[in-house]
Amino acid sequence: MKRILNALVQFRNPILYLLLLGLSFFFLDNKSSFHQSQLEKYGLYVSQNLYRVSHQIGNYFQLKKINEKLLQENKALKELELKSKGIPLYPSALKVKRRFPFQVKAAHIIKNSFLNQQNFLIIDKGAEDGIKEEMAVITDRGIIGIVKSVSNHYASVISILNQDLKINVRLKNSAAFGTLSWKGKNPIDFQVEDVVMNAQLEKGDTLITGGMSSYFPLGIPLGKISEFEHDIQSGYYTISTELFEDPSQVYYVYVIENLDQKEINELKNEQP
Amino acid sequence: MNSSSLQLVSMFVLMVLLQVMLFNNLQLFGFINPMVYLLFIIMYRFESDQTLFILLSFILGFSIDFLSQSGGAHSIATLTIGFLRPLLIRNAFGVTAEIPTSFYNDSRTLNKTIFLALIISIHHLLYFSFVFFNWNAIYLILKNTLLASVFSLILIALLSSFYKKLNDS
Repeated sequence: MKRILNALVQFRNPILYLLLLGLSFFFLDNKSSFHQSQLEKYGLYVSQNLYRVSHQIGNYFQLKKINEKLLQENKALKELELKSKGIPLYPSALKVKRRFPFQVKAAHIIKNSFLNQQNFLIIDKGAEDGIKEEMAVITDRGIIGIVKSVSNHYASVISILNQDLKINVRLKNSAAFGTLSWKGKNPIDFQVEDVVMNAQLEKGDTLITGGMSSYFPLGIPLGKISEFEHDIQSGYYTISTELFEDPSQVYYVYVIENLDQKEINELKNEQP
Repeated sequence: MNSSSLQLVSMFVLMVLLQVMLFNNLQLFGFINPMVYLLFIIMYRFESDQTLFILLSFILGFSIDFLSQSGGAHSIATLTIGFLRPLLIRNAFGVTAEIPTSFYNDSRTLNKTIFLALIISIHHLLYFSFVFFNWNAIYLILKNTLLASVFSLILIALLSSFYKKLNDS
């Protein structure tokens, strides 16, 4: 308190000056309407700039929140996109009302690896967020893997950069199915095997998920054919493909739940 | 009330009356009114209390404003010049040891002229800025400041020498 008083005494002149200056402005403002409107104009100019700056600063600190919001929005859009992927392939589907048994959840990758032959990654959503084993993990431009095990808040995912993981794929413009797997070196170089010889292939054709597995819905674009060769003896193509997105450099992902997975598995198990 | 306070008050009143009754109606060339009341600011003893002086400056400007119906421009200009006066004194008269106790106690004409010119030009610039209060009138502000400063300077210099003679006798 004494310090405040001391400071007040020490700076009494500037304080008095500012006080009286304010008073003068008040008189100026009251006396003439011209000055009043001019003062308002300048005040507005100052305040609009102040507000703009504070708005920008505020915006900057809200970026994270906005990102999260966009991610949520993307999640909803992703669901719609996945739903619509199959339609152009089967135009007749437009007329029929179809069930779409997939649900999308947003997550972040918190640990990723691509140096081993069997890579795993960890996402920051777990059992409490509704993540279960064997759910698919995709990005906005490809797929990432399949959930292997789940804890309360985290889940570990088998990366597609894992030579054990085989993904059912097909060509976008012909229904030739194959199996996608990692070559084991460059994170975007993959190979597709078991494509039958009578399919028509060209370099640059797009590969999409086949929809045959219960993990991934039909029609997620994965990559392009970079080269292919006939294997006369076996009667299958061996295709090299390049992914659209490098799975080692991903942060935002979506976890897809197939609501019908249990049903499908039951049917599978019934087969002898 | 001692003699110096009496002198102060009488000078204050005299300045206000002179400005309002006489100099505000001069209108040299149709628009120049020299502001002679600054003589009070100049003549006020250099070593006295700054807080009181700021208050007095404000009251001086406010009285002029009040009596000549001119809003707050005189108040703002006079208050600011009163606040800045110690700085201007240091600039015009040099280091502390060389600062005289009052304006008429000093004999260095150049320093006194610089001091006068500083006080008058800053005051006038502020005054006209607040009268016109518009960026587009900047040339008008500068023109008025320049011309009125010249006449104020001449008149104040004259009156200050007159004041000196009065005190001497």
